[in-house]
Amino acid sequence: MSDAALTQALPRPARLALGETATAWLLSAPAIIAYLLMLLLPTLATIALAFTDFELGATGFAWIGLDNFAEMLSDRGFMTSLRNTIIYVGLVTPGSIAGALALALLIEAGTRGRTFFRAVFFLPVVSLTVAMAAAWQYLLHPSIGPLNAMLRVAGLGAPEWLSSSSTVLLSLAAIGIWENLGFNLVLFLAGLTAIPRELYAAAEVDGARHAWQRFRLVTWPMLGPTTLFVLTITMIRAVRVFDTVAVLTQGGPNKASQVLLYTMYEEGFTYFRLGYSAAITLVFLAIVLAMMWLQTKVLDKRVHYG
Amino acid sequence: MTVLSRRAALALPAALALPAIARAQSATAITVHYAQPNIYKESYDAILAGFNKQEPDIRVNFVTTPNYEEGAQLLLRQSATNQLPDLSYQGFNRLRVFAERGIAQDLTPLLKAEAADPATLGYSENLLNLAHFGGMQAGLAYAASNPICYYNADLVKRAGGDPDNFPKDWDGVLALAARIDALGDGTDGMWFTWNGDDWMFSALLFGHGGRMLNADETDVAFAGAEGMASLKLLERMVKQAGMPNMTAVAARQAFAAGKIGMLFQTTALVRGTAAAVGNNFVLRTTGMPVIDAQNGRLPTGGAAGMLTAKDSARRAAAMKFLRYSTGPEGQAMMVKASGYLPCNQIAIDDPQYLGAFYRENPLFVASVKQIPISIPWYAFPGSNSVRVTQTMVDNLARIVEGKATPEQVLPDMAGEIRRLLPRRS
Repeated sequence: MSDAALTQALPRPARLALGETATAWLLSAPAIIAYLLMLLLPTLATIALAFTDFELGATGFAWIGLDNFAEMLSDRGFMTSLRNTIIYVGLVTPGSIAGALALALLIEAGTRGRTFFRAVFFLPVVSLTVAMAAAWQYLLHPSIGPLNAMLRVAGLGAPEWLSSSSTVLLSLAAIGIWENLGFNLVLFLAGLTAIPRELYAAAEVDGARHAWQRFRLVTWPMLGPTTLFVLTITMIRAVRVFDTVAVLTQGGPNKASQVLLYTMYEEGFTYFRLGYSAAITLVFLAIVLAMMWLQTKVLDKRVHYG
Repeated sequence: MTVLSRRAALALPAALALPAIARAQSATAITVHYAQPNIYKESYDAILAGFNKQEPDIRVNFVTTPNYEEGAQLLLRQSATNQLPDLSYQGFNRLRVFAERGIAQDLTPLLKAEAADPATLGYSENLLNLAHFGGMQAGLAYAASNPICYYNADLVKRAGGDPDNFPKDWDGVLALAARIDALGDGTDGMWFTWNGDDWMFSALLFGHGGRMLNADETDVAFAGAEGMASLKLLERMVKQAGMPNMTAVAARQAFAAGKIGMLFQTTALVRGTAAAVGNNFVLRTTGMPVIDAQNGRLPTGGAAGMLTAKDSARRAAAMKFLRYSTGPEGQAMMVKASGYLPCNQIAIDDPQYLGAFYRENPLFVASVKQIPISIPWYAFPGSNSVRVTQTMVDNLARIVEGKATPEQVLPDMAGEIRRLLPRRS
């Protein structure tokens, strides 16, 4: 009865709008609740934790302000891991982007075996990193690994790829490039197919006879949006490096392969210092956000959207 | 007669009903946590089968974590949310954290209630000390290990050594390792498990008669002559015997492939190593080279069960399981199914438990012979307990990589660890 009253009281469009709003809220409620519970609340809890000295298993904690962040500046472990992470990103990002672009151009230019090569290079993306790390551990084994067996035959010595502090970061970066290459390759291939053929024909008419000229004048600018996306995604994926370090080197020797996420894990779950670990997480979050901001704000302006 | 039988007949239903009532009242379910099911599962399953026969009224649910580290995390997390298991088997070096944070319970009164002298139950003082931390009996040792030497008898022979007369001191061992190293073809003489944690370093330090901290735990005690000698010995392994720079996993693989002459690591890996080696070569084990015959000691690794139940019925039930698993029968099952050392004096002394096993499995004997000189794995005090061990490993890496001399490393290591010790006012 009250329903009927309501129906009569409200003009038709308003009732419809109300119904639509309610439905919209209802439909997005699961996503909103999941976002609040799984993302926002934990993030807020982490931010709060970062300002405490909470340790796993301790009965209480104290608010210590910025002490955790001050400690980072004098912590050799953290500074080393920050430096290593920057080097790692600096190696993996250009390596996997340039490599993927070169391969994409080759595959695109080829007439046969496109699907085959695409699948081959994409395999690392779909395989489990932890399992692949075990395969790498064998390939790079100093005495029984195939790589060093070949190097020994060639008389080039046998580097201790994963256990020497001078090569460990390079080895991990090589694995990182291998891991990211296939993903970037597929993105570039998609970008390449979206470039209209007429542009190449037009460029040729305009005098761009050389392949390099066509790449510089047509392919590269047209791939701009794809490259920006690939750059962002690769950098974020590279900053997130964790599994290969955890499986292959555990940050050693003497912190030569400590990276941000592994340090965060070690502080929180090996040394039980959750407060400090949370502070490192915030630094990590800040780096990722800064990278996204830089790329969307600064680079976006210089990208040509066809 | 008739009276008696009538009485018996009257009493019969009651007598039958009584245990049922008792059972219904005392049926207790307990949760028991242990780590490393890949190593321990068979032993716990065997023990549970035996325990079920002895205590049919106690139901045991196992919870496992892949390793000790995650086991410690699990308990610390659960203690914050009040969901602790009733009994947990933790690595010796992590027990101190639980004792100091008030999670482990003192077992002394429970043991004393059972026997005035726990030694009569097989818990000799040495064995009790393995799990005595934070001023209390924080647990009962379940499985123990000590470091031993694994060697490839074929490589030893090829290098002109006698596998039946393996050198007893480091001078002899390093000389033999150098000869194996010189065989060429990518063969390395030896590998010492210096990374991972401080355990194998403490084998060198204790072997020299040294100790980690002073008696009242206010300052480091390894910065003296014994510590220096230990670091120099590590340096000699690299410089004299050509020890390669490898991760522990890589070294185990190379050893199993017949590319390393000798491997110094825990006896807990005997079973796994023998399986990995298979028929590649003749595998032998022997004790650690003796450094100081008088004062030399070796650290003990392994796990101990600690009681965490709060409810009194569950606490009693958990204690029964702990007692059974660390009693002579449980320990015999544990040794046969895992390869660790027994932690009950009765199981060690009485040949009916393990005599036949050791006769048939000579690879396990090296560690048994070292029991008399084994002392607890030292756990550092305070909240930086685990971090200290990593600091040590990081400094040892500098020597193994030839980046610093023992003279440079020892003071650095002492300084860094001093800062990690709890401050006393």
